[in-house]
Amino acid sequence: MALDFILPAGLEAAEPPPSRDGVRLLVASADGVRHARFDQLGEFLAAGDLVVVNTSATLPAAVTADRAGVPVEVHFSAELDDGAWVIEVRPAGVSAGPVTDLRPCEVITLDAGAALIVGEPQPAGQVRLWRARPRIDGGVSAFLARHGRPIRYAYVPRQWPLPEYQTVFAREPGSAEMPSAGRPFTAQVVTDLITRGVAVAPIVLHTGVSSQEPGEPPQPERFRVPPATARLVNSTRQAGGRVIAVGTTVTRALESAADPDGSVRAGHGWTDLVLGPSRPARVVTGLVTGWHAPGASHLALLAAVAGSGLVERAYAEAVRQEYLWHEFGDSCLLLP
Amino acid sequence: MTRTSQPTALITGAGRGLGLALARSLLASGWRVVVDARRTAHLAADLPGALVVTGDVTDPAHREALASAVGGLGRLDLLVNNASDLGPSPLPPLADVPLAAVRRVLETNVLAPLALTQRLLPLLRTSGGTVLNVSSDAAVEAYAGWGAYGSSKAALDQLTAVLAAEEPALAVYAVDPGDMRTEMHQAAFPGEDISDRPEPEEVVPALLRLIASRTAPSGRVRAADLARTAT
Repeated sequence: MALDFILPAGLEAAEPPPSRDGVRLLVASADGVRHARFDQLGEFLAAGDLVVVNTSATLPAAVTADRAGVPVEVHFSAELDDGAWVIEVRPAGVSAGPVTDLRPCEVITLDAGAALIVGEPQPAGQVRLWRARPRIDGGVSAFLARHGRPIRYAYVPRQWPLPEYQTVFAREPGSAEMPSAGRPFTAQVVTDLITRGVAVAPIVLHTGVSSQEPGEPPQPERFRVPPATARLVNSTRQAGGRVIAVGTTVTRALESAADPDGSVRAGHGWTDLVLGPSRPARVVTGLVTGWHAPGASHLALLAAVAGSGLVERAYAEAVRQEYLWHEFGDSCLLLP
Repeated sequence: MTRTSQPTALITGAGRGLGLALARSLLASGWRVVVDARRTAHLAADLPGALVVTGDVTDPAHREALASAVGGLGRLDLLVNNASDLGPSPLPPLADVPLAAVRRVLETNVLAPLALTQRLLPLLRTSGGTVLNVSSDAAVEAYAGWGAYGSSKAALDQLTAVLAAEEPALAVYAVDPGDMRTEMHQAAFPGEDISDRPEPEEVVPALLRLIASRTAPSGRVRAADLARTAT
């Protein structure tokens, strides 16, 4: 299956929208495609449905650094269990791709005398993400809080403050990039859902950097599905309600905790689950998602939930109707 | 003084061979490196940027000078106990080996590494650092003539293993680098052609991966095994 499309120029959201829940919402279901605003989300759901959200907060994960006299930018992607970090190093500025010729024991100098000791590619088999041991007094989190800024890519021409990269659900810092499907949600939208009898439940999945090369599988990510959420998911399914994941991150977390029969068990750890034609979704039956770049592995995940036909129709319509792409862009509700 | 977290290493016996090659690589990688050797005149040219302290690791005053040089830099991430004494060349059988020579081998290969480790443990604990003791296959294989050297390296291996148990926050390795084309190896095989052995520079990448990624649990490690697991 080659789910792909051409993203026309000008459809990349270059800055935060004037209001979060004022972005457009494309609703794609078996009945066809409808266009709405995000604050109408509740109209398309029913009492007894469950909306699952990611409460991971975004780190100011990008810092300026020095590699043997050459200015670079380091993106902190994920903290490993032994205190080392997965990092991506890019040339200074927001243009070019990653630095791939790092060497074990190489030192990358950070602000305030801090440093990273480069290890090996993590995971093995690629040269974009590397393991590195921080030499940072006071720890990485405090260092990022003081010296870091949100990761941004070339389609966002200026730097925006960290709160623009936090969803209304953000509680637990740990994501290298915003779990952006949740960004259009506001307190009013959530109140509307609750009032309609739609339940909301949390999971945590800390996202790594998203800058995959074409064909590169998603990297392992740390997740947690709490017991109360697992119970809500299972009772929702038993009662015939839909389990709506807000974003690919929530989908990955729930599916990582799902048994073959679709029941979810509370759990936590690292997931390397890749959803796709050989591993369709077991528990997630609907999806709120942003619009992702062509060729992204996200698209295979969407198809694993909603079927490639529905995803193709939604994307074709979004291009035709000039929906905006990426983390500050418009939204999509897939209801297969 | 500016506080810095620039990684810092102390490498003993860095005048030649594996110690020199490792020091050179770490300097090129951006580390601050303190080295010692008994003869150091050539190191200003061979190791530009290194902090060189001349002396013998069996001399307590010299060890104090090393600790003081490291203390002046304010941190230590890596201690490499590389300085070694082979004993008399050609290698005598145990039946004939002079006890004074054995004592000197043990002083250099066992007691000096222990003394330096003791002295530098506070800084290594602060950084969660690495101790890398250079061992040998003679620590575990019984080669005729290698009794003094082999038993000293066996003792060093066991010091490594016990230190790892006592200091779980550190990475503590005894690395067998394998045979290399070095002056020490030539002294073990006087008059023989050792040009088939690899240069010490060829062993360094495996050590760098071990130091940077802790690709093996603490304990005895063969560089050849590290090279095989490389991607």
